[in-house]
Amino acid sequence: MAEIKPIVGEKRAFMTGNEVCTWAALAAQADIMYGYPITPQNEVMHYWTRLAPKYDKKFLQTEDELSAGFTTLGGVLSGAKAFTATGGPGNVLMQEPISMAEAMRIPTVMVIQQRGGPSTATVIYSQQEVNLTTFGGNGEGHRIVYSTATHQDLFDYTIKAFNVAWKYRFPTFVLGDGYQAKMRESLTIYDPESRGIKMTSSEPLIGQPGMPGVDRDPSLLRNTYNTEEELYVVIKQFQKDYDEMTPQIIEHEEFDCEDADVIVLTHGVVSRSAKMAVRELRAEGLKVGYFRPITLRPFPTVALKKALNGTKRIFLAESAEGQFYRLVTQSIYGQTVPIDTLFKPGVGITSEEMVEKLRTIF
Amino acid sequence: MNRALDLLHRSDVQKPITLVDLDTVEPVYTLRPLRKELTVLGLDVVAWETSETMGLGEAGSVIRPDMRWVLKRPGSIVLDIGYGVKGSKTLNIIEGAGEDPELMILLVLNLGRPLTGTYEDMLEYARELGPVHGLINNSHLGEDTSLSFIQEGALVVSKVGKVLHIPVVATAAEERFRGELGLSDGLGHPVRYLKRFMPHAFW
Repeated sequence: MAEIKPIVGEKRAFMTGNEVCTWAALAAQADIMYGYPITPQNEVMHYWTRLAPKYDKKFLQTEDELSAGFTTLGGVLSGAKAFTATGGPGNVLMQEPISMAEAMRIPTVMVIQQRGGPSTATVIYSQQEVNLTTFGGNGEGHRIVYSTATHQDLFDYTIKAFNVAWKYRFPTFVLGDGYQAKMRESLTIYDPESRGIKMTSSEPLIGQPGMPGVDRDPSLLRNTYNTEEELYVVIKQFQKDYDEMTPQIIEHEEFDCEDADVIVLTHGVVSRSAKMAVRELRAEGLKVGYFRPITLRPFPTVALKKALNGTKRIFLAESAEGQFYRLVTQSIYGQTVPIDTLFKPGVGITSEEMVEKLRTIF
Repeated sequence: MNRALDLLHRSDVQKPITLVDLDTVEPVYTLRPLRKELTVLGLDVVAWETSETMGLGEAGSVIRPDMRWVLKRPGSIVLDIGYGVKGSKTLNIIEGAGEDPELMILLVLNLGRPLTGTYEDMLEYARELGPVHGLINNSHLGEDTSLSFIQEGALVVSKVGKVLHIPVVATAAEERFRGELGLSDGLGHPVRYLKRFMPHAFW
């Protein structure tokens, strides 16, 4: 069947965040989605299954998220550009297959739409899956995590996730949330090729042609070792690869930090409120700066430390009870800048709230 | 919501005006959080309070008895049902929907949505929905909507309507376009100007 492109050139569109992820996966030439329903990401699956026949894509609904995760790994091992989506308790279940993906360097792509936690909690929204998505499982967090704030981010970083996963062979996540998943806004959707983005090809990780050790190196796909020392060598190598990769992929966004007395630190959708708050206060002459890590893993430590030079205070806001705070403080360990916080687990944070709180700091 | 409020002020329309939330497809952008506000404005609103719902559709949506029997109410009734095939199937559980000769099903189309982003896609989408009595052009890109986009949408929707022999009832546009667009969308369809309520409807 001749390939029909889901998007030709580029155009403006208006849709929900979940639908955006689907179109981005199509644009990224994903082959198959393995999925299991859970709010607030169901529509990723709904739109994928609706569009799949038209673009000759495949879908498998599994019996739970454990299976969705493992079948995604299986799809990738067979050479398909496979992805899945989940959130909340589904993300908890997925940590077992994700751990395997870390262990075996399987380039999976997962869209996570955060909802309230822990456990079933709410189906709505939170930023409470930062712990889980960055360092969940029983490994060392050798994963790549993009924290998106807008529908444009969801589109851009879903496409990027496929490329980065297949290039560097670490499981890669697009970390959205229930608000981004469900709200509608406009964005530019595009064929990556029209912007000079070459999509990395997938390849089978198993069943490679030729004799291992004779015609080619052995694939050495394993997630289990006989001795501690073997594991040690493998993990140390993974860390080395991760450290080498980090400068290539690390991303953040900042403005007005150079002379800021207070720097506002946020990630994901909360950054939208932070941006508005910082601009409002700057317009009044208050020296406020904005810093948003886009990659939570790897974390933009160098950039953050540089941005904090000379600042008097940090104001950190998140829709969780300190999950982002812990990433930040771990990253800037040794810094003595006082940190004020606004923790609102499972609840949205408006720019008005931030402005009100920031005024008390000045 | 805008249509129901518009009908409230017309003398040629039977009162009361009832607005019904039957959007089980996407339990987010519904009129539910605005129920009190709309009741104060004079509408009868048949909808759950958010606090009365469980899981916002995760384990299925529960239909209230006054939703199921809504077509038996006096006056005029505006049903807000979800998009797509699933949305149109909601009418299957409303008593009398299949037999009521006064029930008009209006399909609202937005050229800005990729699923209906071309003439061919829009035609295919409209075809699979079952009975439709009228089309409404609601082409927009949210904050990025332009006059030309609304008019481009009107052209495409008109073309779809011609092929399917379904009349285009109106073009909808935000109030801010009134000065530029006027009474008609350029193709003879009346323009219904919309006040946006949804930015306030946060769950």
